[in-house]
Amino acid sequence: MANADIKPKSISRAKKWSDEIENLYRFQQAGYRDEIEYKQVKQVDMVDRWPETGFVKKLQRRDNTFYYYNKQRECEDKEVHKVKVYAY
Amino acid sequence: MVAEKDGSSPPKLTGERPPQQQQPLGQLRRTKQQVTDGFTVKAMMRNTVVRGPPVAGAFKERPTKPTAFRKFYERGDFPIALEHDSRGNKIAWKVEIEKLDYHHYLPLFFDGLCEMTFPYEFFARQGIHDMLEHGGNKILPVIPQLIIPIKNALNLRNRQVICITLKVLQHLVVSADMVGEALVPYYRQILPILNIFKNMNVNSGDGIDYSQQKRENIGDLIQETLEAFERYGGEDAYINIKYMVPTYQSCLLN
Repeated sequence: MANADIKPKSISRAKKWSDEIENLYRFQQAGYRDEIEYKQVKQVDMVDRWPETGFVKKLQRRDNTFYYYNKQRECEDKEVHKVKVYAY
Repeated sequence: MVAEKDGSSPPKLTGERPPQQQQPLGQLRRTKQQVTDGFTVKAMMRNTVVRGPPVAGAFKERPTKPTAFRKFYERGDFPIALEHDSRGNKIAWKVEIEKLDYHHYLPLFFDGLCEMTFPYEFFARQGIHDMLEHGGNKILPVIPQLIIPIKNALNLRNRQVICITLKVLQHLVVSADMVGEALVPYYRQILPILNIFKNMNVNSGDGIDYSQQKRENIGDLIQETLEAFERYGGEDAYINIKYMVPTYQSCLLN
């Protein structure tokens, strides 16, 4: 919360699927860069995650509607390259 | 005597009727045959062919009725919105699923299983999926209210509807603890249709049946569903399935 104005310095595309990429994919589907921006915008400390897999479970979008995600992997191989990885 | 015999027999052949004329007569007789229903007086007559029994229509699709789901959706009663994204469509929930009244909404969404047209069919399917995935222990008390919509959907005997309903049933069974056991008393409502369609499979020899790849093969889906019922239904599940689907063989015993 302290670094509210933090901005990414660079961006790259994901090459290979991993748990991290899966979560980024979920954040980006909901319209956020990543977890940092989500926490900034929504002013929350925690993100709902599936206890079994650790993937993001529920996100509130900017228009306050909710997106729910599956327990299992959602980001298929053909979509991995669409995920943007921001570096700070 | 001999000469007389020789002389008498050839004229019989030529004189009575030439062989060419016999064929039209035979055809005449064949056309005279009449088709009739079984167990009638006509059926006993010599020149009749008894027609087989009419089709019972066990596999025939039943007409659909307007669903409550459609009514509620068109009235805007559901807290859902459609979102289009690169992967296709997704539901955006306007309220948190955890705060929804499952006793009201889950049976309504199951009622939408009877729908075959977009967007109703999509909303029902995806809405059920989300609600089951995030319902937890709120699902179990609603089970008795889900049976009639499930039964109605299966009774339509529409291939697409059966496919989706079977996948929903598979999800329902694993959605929370004790749900499988809670379904056992309702097998009498659900399983008769599964029994009818259990053998609906294609014997294509060594050819490719693409419905297998797309998970649309009804015979396979029914087998999977019954196995899921048995696995999650507790110890009474097998005997109850066997009672309704006699050709089912256990996947746990033996």
